[in-house]
Amino acid sequence: MSHHISTLPTLLSVAGALLVLTFLTVAVTWINIPEPFNVIVAITIAVVKATAVAMFFMNLYWDSKFNSVVFLLSILFLTIFVVITLLDTLFREGGLPVY
Amino acid sequence: MANQSVATEKKSHLQHHFVDEDQQFESSKMGMWIFLVTEVLMFGGLFVAYIIYRAWHPDLFYEAAQELDVALGATNTVVLIASSLTIALAIRAVQLDKIKAAINYMAATILLAGTFMVIKYFEYMDKFGKGIYPGESYTYDGLEHEMAANFFSIYYMMTGLHGIHVVIGMVLIGWMIIKAKKGLVHSGYYTPVENTGLFWHLVDIIWIFLFPLLYLID
Repeated sequence: MSHHISTLPTLLSVAGALLVLTFLTVAVTWINIPEPFNVIVAITIAVVKATAVAMFFMNLYWDSKFNSVVFLLSILFLTIFVVITLLDTLFREGGLPVY
Repeated sequence: MANQSVATEKKSHLQHHFVDEDQQFESSKMGMWIFLVTEVLMFGGLFVAYIIYRAWHPDLFYEAAQELDVALGATNTVVLIASSLTIALAIRAVQLDKIKAAINYMAATILLAGTFMVIKYFEYMDKFGKGIYPGESYTYDGLEHEMAANFFSIYYMMTGLHGIHVVIGMVLIGWMIIKAKKGLVHSGYYTPVENTGLFWHLVDIIWIFLFPLLYLID
């Protein structure tokens, strides 16, 4: 059995980084970044945070790479879901729906 | 295998259809990851609803998000990050056979999850007090936008489903504490604690996206 055991400094510094990024994502709303860059910045910070959690708290970094592939596939299929739906809803004729 | 004797001594949990403990552990963990994929896709449906609706009514999201308290949302983000750290520390403690420390870390995780739910409760109560209910029950007239109710329907569905996951996570971690107290998990076998940890971290990841998407629309 050779399971990875995370060191204390790793876990604490990942948590520290997550706290700093949480502060950052709030702080960027104090300066007015024009659309659509404010959304891009917010999502980028969230993706970095989620990646840190997945790699170092969920141990994907040390795991069998197959688990990372499985997880990334869920992101891929979510992207397909979003893009194909938007191809419909963004290009409807007759203006916005009433709901 | 250097720790052959330890492994033989604690082998009672090894199911007959697995070659060895490592294979059993890896299979179980892969199964958990596949379950997490279905979780991502379940929340995905709500994220798609959010994206489509925001693309249709950007002004509504800007206006309605002002009703949400950034300070409470940020506090809850910090609380969940802390709880992710404590469950990671709990798994580390089990791996090192420090069962007592693991139980304390798991209890701390439940406490932090409870804090999250209490803050969420006050947020919901504050909105209910103003008449901000999901769907047709919406009676608040503080927002100009005629579709304001729909933002809050999306808000309640996303945070509500997430809240249910937090409660399920609390129950699972409580179950792991009982297992640890009975001596059923240790460095040689801690699969249920590992998988509960994975579930808990996913709940954290989902909140990491919900917080900027709902609270931080400027």
